[in-house]
Parts: sequence; structure tokens; C-alpha cells
Amino acid sequence: MVDFFQSLTLIEMTAYALQALLIMIAFAIVIHKNNGTIVILIASFSLVTASLYVINNAPDVAIAEVAIGSAIIPLIYVISISRQREFIVLDKAMDDFIIHDNTFTGVGYILLKRFSDFYHLELNITNDPMYYKDTVSRDQVLTEQTNVDLIITKDPQKEDGYVLKGKASNILMSKLEEMVKDYDNIRLIKFKDRDLGE
Amino acid sequence: MSRKILLVAMFAVLFGVFATSMIELETLFNTYGKTYFLEHGYAETGASNLVTAILLDYRLFDSLFEAGILLIAVSGVIWISKHDVEEKNAKFMIDKYKTPDLFITFARLVYPLMLAFGFYVIINGHISPGGGFQGGAIVATAILILYYIDANKETNIGLIVTVEKILYLLIVLMASISIITQGAFFTNFFNPSADADLKAIYLVLLNVLIGFKVALGLWTIFTAFLKEGR
Repeated sequence: MVDFFQSLTLIEMTAYALQALLIMIAFAIVIHKNNGTIVILIASFSLVTASLYVINNAPDVAIAEVAIGSAIIPLIYVISISRQREFIVLDKAMDDFIIHDNTFTGVGYILLKRFSDFYHLELNITNDPMYYKDTVSRDQVLTEQTNVDLIITKDPQKEDGYVLKGKASNILMSKLEEMVKDYDNIRLIKFKDRDLGE
Repeated sequence: MSRKILLVAMFAVLFGVFATSMIELETLFNTYGKTYFLEHGYAETGASNLVTAILLDYRLFDSLFEAGILLIAVSGVIWISKHDVEEKNAKFMIDKYKTPDLFITFARLVYPLMLAFGFYVIINGHISPGGGFQGGAIVATAILILYYIDANKETNIGLIVTVEKILYLLIVLMASISIITQGAFFTNFFNPSADADLKAIYLVLLNVLIGFKVALGLWTIFTAFLKEGR
């Protein structure tokens, strides 16, 4: 064991250290929960990989790795995360589901507030008349073509019931579905993604 | 259950093939290619960077398809982030209040340097490490930084994609000129016995074309990301 360490040159020792660091960063990426930290870790993973490429006499690959892995991909991640910072809800029901006694104490508001706090999102409720006038059949089109994440309407089948409508491809929806199970008068409809031709 | 058994069997076969190929590695391994490229690489292609010599001369046929992969990836990203036609040219970019002032000031300083370094890597691709793809990626990063400086920047995705396709056709044409001058596809259009400086013209031209194509392709990809979710 001692002979093994003595036989190593400085470059070889650096390479082993970097490989150990790579494994640690890989574990850290999996363990961490904060998105910003993960993006920085992914960038540093690429940086360490690039230094390993240089040690193995592949500077061309190293330049590509640095440019793609630690510049473009983290920036794209940052953009994608900053896009999903608010949760936009379109209120078509327009009754005491959201605003109760002129304050935000309605059943629906408390549910959505709990939900958006869970994901550290900013809850943004709108009842824009431009969207409000649209008919029920356009709800799916609204979720596809605008930035509205969730639409609240009255349940046509049940008295005093509400329907929440959102895209099935939105990963937040499964958590919301779980939270809605506790309420008898609220149900969630998830729209399947359609192809271009349909 | 039968699927799982099939999967395990498949992995076993794959591992078996891999293991048997490793046993024959002693006989399969040879340094013929390495020594050939070291001895004849510079004389035949005029590139001191042997990676560029292989990418743009010996194995240009493979490189053309690599460039095509990016083209397909770009069209895939556009297709997934489909919007209405008039919405595609909308002005939605990074909201200015979300970008810190420090970042904007620093980006203003770094932007010209990044652009210059990208072009340096592209043009010197046949001498120093780098080349069209690496330089194009650096130029694309510089353009991405530009979006942080000017939040209201407008981009016409349709125009960028069209220019990218034209550049790809130009690369294929440039690579095919050698059928007229040399009688062989996908190699330098100068004679192999020509001066190394003369042959470098072809390498620089091809590197610049590939660099611009890659930069435009990556530009399209992150413009699609910027417009998503608004």
C-alpha cells in the first residue's frame, strides 16, 4: 500500500483525487434538495471532468465539456427554474371559494396556499375577464397556450362542488391530486397532452 | 415477470459479449492508426491539431452526421416547445427584475471577451485545441449572456433555423468540392502534396462554417427554453 502511494507521480495523485471528488459531487447532486445548489454542483461536476480530460491529454474534449457542461447547461437550468417560480390560477368560479368575507380565507385559497408554500412558489390568482368569458370547452386550450397552471370552475354535476383543471404533464399536479383527496366537494381533472395534429 | 427475465438474459448476453471481447483485447489492440496519424497527419492534412485532421479530413463523413444530429435535436426542441406561430416571435425574455445588477455589469464586461475567445477557438481550430464545435458552443454562451444584459431582446427563431440549415448545406457542399478537384468525396480540395498553409484554408473555412452552425443551433435551443412557460 505504501509502495503504491510512493510510486505515484503528482499528476497521477491529482487524477485520483479528482476522481474521488467526482464521486462525492455525484452523490451530493442526488442527495441535495435545493435546485440552485444542484445547478452549481452539476457545473462543478463538468469542471472536474474537464480537468480529468486535460490530465488524460484530451484538451479538445475538455474545451467542449467546459463550454457545454459548465456554461450552457447550468444557464438553461437556471432559466427553466426561474420560469416556474409562480403558480398561476385562473378563477372562473367567482364565489366564496377563494374570497370569503372579503378576505383570502376561502377553502380553495387555503388549499392552494398550502400547496404553493410546499413548493416555495408564489401563488398568483387571476380572474382576467379576457379568459373568464371563454367557454368550458376552451379550458384545455387555455392551459396549453397561456401561462395559466390551474383553472377553477364550478362542478356541473354536483351542487356546491368545484373542479380544478390542469395539465397532466405538469409534475406539480400529482401532489395537488393527493391534497385534493381530503376534500369531498373538489375534484381534479388532468388534461393529457395532445399531439400537433389533434 | 417474463419481461424481467428477458431483460436479465439480455444483460447477461451483453456482458458475455463484452467479456469475450476483453479477453481478445491483447490481440485486437494495435498502435497502427496512432503511429500513422502521428507520422502522416500533418503532411497530408496541414493540421497540427491531429483531432481536427481526423474530424475534418480522414473522418469527415462521420463529422457531417454529427453536425446533422444537432440539426435534428434543434428541430426536436422546437417541436416539443410548440406554440402558436405569432407567439413564437414574442418578446418574452428573462424578466429584468430577476437578474441582479452585479450579474448584468459583469456580463457586459465579459461578453466581448467571450465572443473573441470563441472566434479564436474556431479560427485556430487546426493549430490549437478546439475547433468548430467547441468555439461555436463558446459563441453560443456569449449570445446567451446577451439575453441577461438586454432583457427585451427580440429573436426571430424562423430566420435563425433557416440560416442554420443553409449553413449545413454549405458544409456538405464544401466537403463535396473534392470530388471535382481530387476525385474523392469528403476530403481536402487541395492536392495532398500542396503546401500546408494552403491546405489550412480549407480547414479554417470548414471550421468557421461548423462553428456558426453550432452557435446558431444552440442559440435556437435556449431561445426555445426562454420562451417556454410564459
